[in-house]
Amino acid sequence: MILAFLTWLQESLGKGKGDDAQSWSQALISSLNFWSILEGTHLLMLMLFAGTILVVDLRLLGVTFRKTRVSVISSKILPLTVAGFILMIITGAALFFAKPVYYYHNLWFRLKLVFLIAAMINIVVFHYRVQKNQDAWDLKATPPASARLSAVVSLLAWTSVIFFGRLIPYNFVECGKPMPDWLNAAQECSTSEHGAQSLDGKITLVKPK
Amino acid sequence: MKFSILFPNLRTWVLHLDKVWPAYIVKPNFAYWEVLHILSIVILGGCSILLGLRLIGYGLTEEKPSELYRNLKLWLHTGVIGVTVTGVLIGMANAEKLYDSPAFFVKLVSLVAGVIITYFAMRPLALADGEVTPRSVVGGALGLAVWAIGLWVFLNGGLMTPGFFHVMTAAALIVLFVTRGRLRWIYLAGVATALAVFFLATHVVIAWGDLKHADPANVAIAVILGLWIAGIAIVQTLVNRRNLDSETPDRGALYAKLIGYAVILVWVCAAAAGRWIAYD
Repeated sequence: MILAFLTWLQESLGKGKGDDAQSWSQALISSLNFWSILEGTHLLMLMLFAGTILVVDLRLLGVTFRKTRVSVISSKILPLTVAGFILMIITGAALFFAKPVYYYHNLWFRLKLVFLIAAMINIVVFHYRVQKNQDAWDLKATPPASARLSAVVSLLAWTSVIFFGRLIPYNFVECGKPMPDWLNAAQECSTSEHGAQSLDGKITLVKPK
Repeated sequence: MKFSILFPNLRTWVLHLDKVWPAYIVKPNFAYWEVLHILSIVILGGCSILLGLRLIGYGLTEEKPSELYRNLKLWLHTGVIGVTVTGVLIGMANAEKLYDSPAFFVKLVSLVAGVIITYFAMRPLALADGEVTPRSVVGGALGLAVWAIGLWVFLNGGLMTPGFFHVMTAAALIVLFVTRGRLRWIYLAGVATALAVFFLATHVVIAWGDLKHADPANVAIAVILGLWIAGIAIVQTLVNRRNLDSETPDRGALYAKLIGYAVILVWVCAAAAGRWIAYD
């Protein structure tokens, strides 16, 4: 069902009449500069988003700004982080819209989403559990273990998001190449355009419902 | 402008670079080294944004610029060294493309300018809490002059020129962050109008694919938008100076603010040019 929706998004949405007509998704990916600008903006927003969250996490770890209240660091730096995050989500959604079926069958994109969700859960846990007694450790050079753990999880999760995000264009494990069954299953290759090819060369191609 | 024009006799040497240690080790693992390059850019970006904003008079104002620099210097150095080392390694593994790439020329010139502005203008200004010293003036003038070469090539680079949009976006976001009250709304209205005019001009008034007319229209609207962003930044700075009182002396000289903007934008420019190597 998801794949059918994404295929409709890519192939049909906004498509006019005539042989040369393009869907909005196809028009976006074949635009002269717009897709490149979106992609560049998505990448460059990392400087704002991940660059500032790094400083907040380093304070939580007690590595830097040890004499500054954690609440001051949060209130002054996190608005920048949030602004960067919003722009990353907008540009990321637009990039996904340009090639939804490709991303659906892309292992790195799926892993990126997993770590994105992990980072989100960590933010919720930090906000509702760890920060509850922040007044007690706001001025401490080294915040409590729970806050430091949250910072470590944040750094690992966002680094993983960047790592897998950068691997997306690389075709090491692209559907259609011979690879172990578990890799084919992890990307649902059997429903992809190229099908799933196992290591012994057997190709499985299932028509998506 | 590209290095193959500046140094045409180096082609044989450049073509051999990917077979030299450590490039032949990096090349099969290019993607992973790229990730390290991006992570270094992230670290550098976070530090330069916070330090630059502080010199402009915003961001972490609870700390003096000198204290901010002391807290971030280790990470700033890590970012600069990381960007340079990983850049050299992935550059060696991809030398032939870079030799013929105008975007790489812009990236390298911006990198040099970024190092000069960061260490010979921003650093002395930050350590002196915004007070202008002769050293910071010389460093800033030199860095800005080098960066101007990169900007000129970026703006005249044909296929990579749209990448300059990233530098303008960064400038627009900084100005959005530092403007307050009614001025922020006026600023946003101006930006929205310019973007609407841009869309109408290139999608309605000028026929699709008519690059002969679309190119000058793009340039004209980009120049107007650039002037608008710079103009509002100047107005906001003047408004701040008028409202200054003795309690906020470190809001500092106009020159410190200029370097505050420059230290962020020069690194954005280097990163943007780096990204547009793929498209030029």
